[in-house]
Amino acid sequence: MIELFNVSVKLGHRGVLDQVSLQINKGEFVYLIGKTGTGKTTLLRLIYMDVFPDRGNVIIDSYSSSTIRQRHVPFLRRKVGVIFQDFKLLPDRNVFENVAFAMQVIGAPQKTIKARTLSVLTRVGLHHKRYQMPQRLSGGEKQRVAIARALINKPFILLADEPTGNLDPQVAKDILALLESINRSGTAILMATHNYDLIRQYPHRTLVLENGRLSREIPPEDLD
Amino acid sequence: MKLLFLIKEGFLGFRRARLATLITILTISLSLTLIGLFGLVVYHLSDGFKKTFSRINLEVYVDPTATASQITDLQTQISSMDAVEAVRYISPTEALQSFKSSFGEDMVEVLDGENPLQPSFRVTLKSDYADVEKIQQVKQKIEAISSVDEIVYQEQLVRLVNEYFFAGTVTAIAFGATIFLISAILIFNTIRLTIHSRKSVIEIMRLVGATQSFIKAPFIFEGVLQGLIGSLIACLGLWLISGLLAALFATTFAVPWFYYIFLIITGIFLGLIGSYFSVGKYLRF
Repeated sequence: MIELFNVSVKLGHRGVLDQVSLQINKGEFVYLIGKTGTGKTTLLRLIYMDVFPDRGNVIIDSYSSSTIRQRHVPFLRRKVGVIFQDFKLLPDRNVFENVAFAMQVIGAPQKTIKARTLSVLTRVGLHHKRYQMPQRLSGGEKQRVAIARALINKPFILLADEPTGNLDPQVAKDILALLESINRSGTAILMATHNYDLIRQYPHRTLVLENGRLSREIPPEDLD
Repeated sequence: MKLLFLIKEGFLGFRRARLATLITILTISLSLTLIGLFGLVVYHLSDGFKKTFSRINLEVYVDPTATASQITDLQTQISSMDAVEAVRYISPTEALQSFKSSFGEDMVEVLDGENPLQPSFRVTLKSDYADVEKIQQVKQKIEAISSVDEIVYQEQLVRLVNEYFFAGTVTAIAFGATIFLISAILIFNTIRLTIHSRKSVIEIMRLVGATQSFIKAPFIFEGVLQGLIGSLIACLGLWLISGLLAALFATTFAVPWFYYIFLIITGIFLGLIGSYFSVGKYLRF
């Protein structure tokens, strides 16, 4: 479903990723760990084709980085949900509008948008706060809104870039539990983090990124 | 594409970035008022200039031996020419009186009762013919008619006026183009700042899979709307200023209707181009 073949990426003159190869299967939960600046974010950006490899090839579903046309990139992104450490919510729209926005901009019918938005908000436990503005939400709630927005278009994979980085330990654990439940319903998850202690509570296959290279892979049973 | 969503987003953009929108509209209206005012001043100056200096008179002296019927025939022929606006016959007696009133001397007395002045026609050309080359052509045509003795006009003055008018036109165009360019840059930058303040919206639209045209459309709609409102304010401003100037100088200072059309089209065009390129800056795939 997601495959990277000997991918190298340079940003400016700096080599960020070097000959990275990996495969993520349908419905899988994979951690990507590594220190800050080792290329985790760049690897995620490769998957939603925000950056393209200088060498190698990235295959996402039926799209290939070497053959995809620019005008097809938005259609790939509708199949890939992304969440960030800083949530990236629109401060001038309430919770409902923030989530619905992701469906509005792909031109979905109004009726579908309303039903689907309420459904994902219920799923992330924020149905009752749908008219609140983001400023009045806690960090954990903001991340739940971001997750709802990422899920609304039914992606086959959710990319999470340090989703718990700004949250206190208990809230971080709740968010991870939510991601776990999303994964159980069939959505694959690739989560970049440097919080080794947190991911040990929900062990999955873990890829270790060091200086732009995938140095090793830790099987779930060895995450201790 | 959901047109309703785009229009709604465009209007919401106004509400969400009130100050930035207000500044953009203000910049557009002030710039266009300046352009309009400059154009209006140039228009009225050149109009006044033309009215003052474009009435060229040719003095067509008639052969003294010409008969009355020949003179009538000559007048008919000159009057029928395209270039001619008016023809007035000046008899030797009238010419003498004019001479007397100008110089205070009675030349008939000096010349022992004989009037030496010839009959003539004062031929006024249409304003389109206030040009030496064109006057020369008309002059040659009239000269070709029999019983014409000589044609005189103020060639040097016409040349001088034409040169000044040309220099004035070139200066006005250069100055107008500079004002237009500065205004366009100012408007572009203001629109760019407005869009920059909402780059997070653009980023999220990209991330969730909105197509380029879907992202651009509300911003372009907003830009066009800002251009339209700004230009309408400029039109109102120009109308008020022209009224004020007219009252102040007790003269007509009317704004030609096509000035309003020009300002509205310019405002919409600048809003469209400015927003199109500004939003494009934040769109990379």
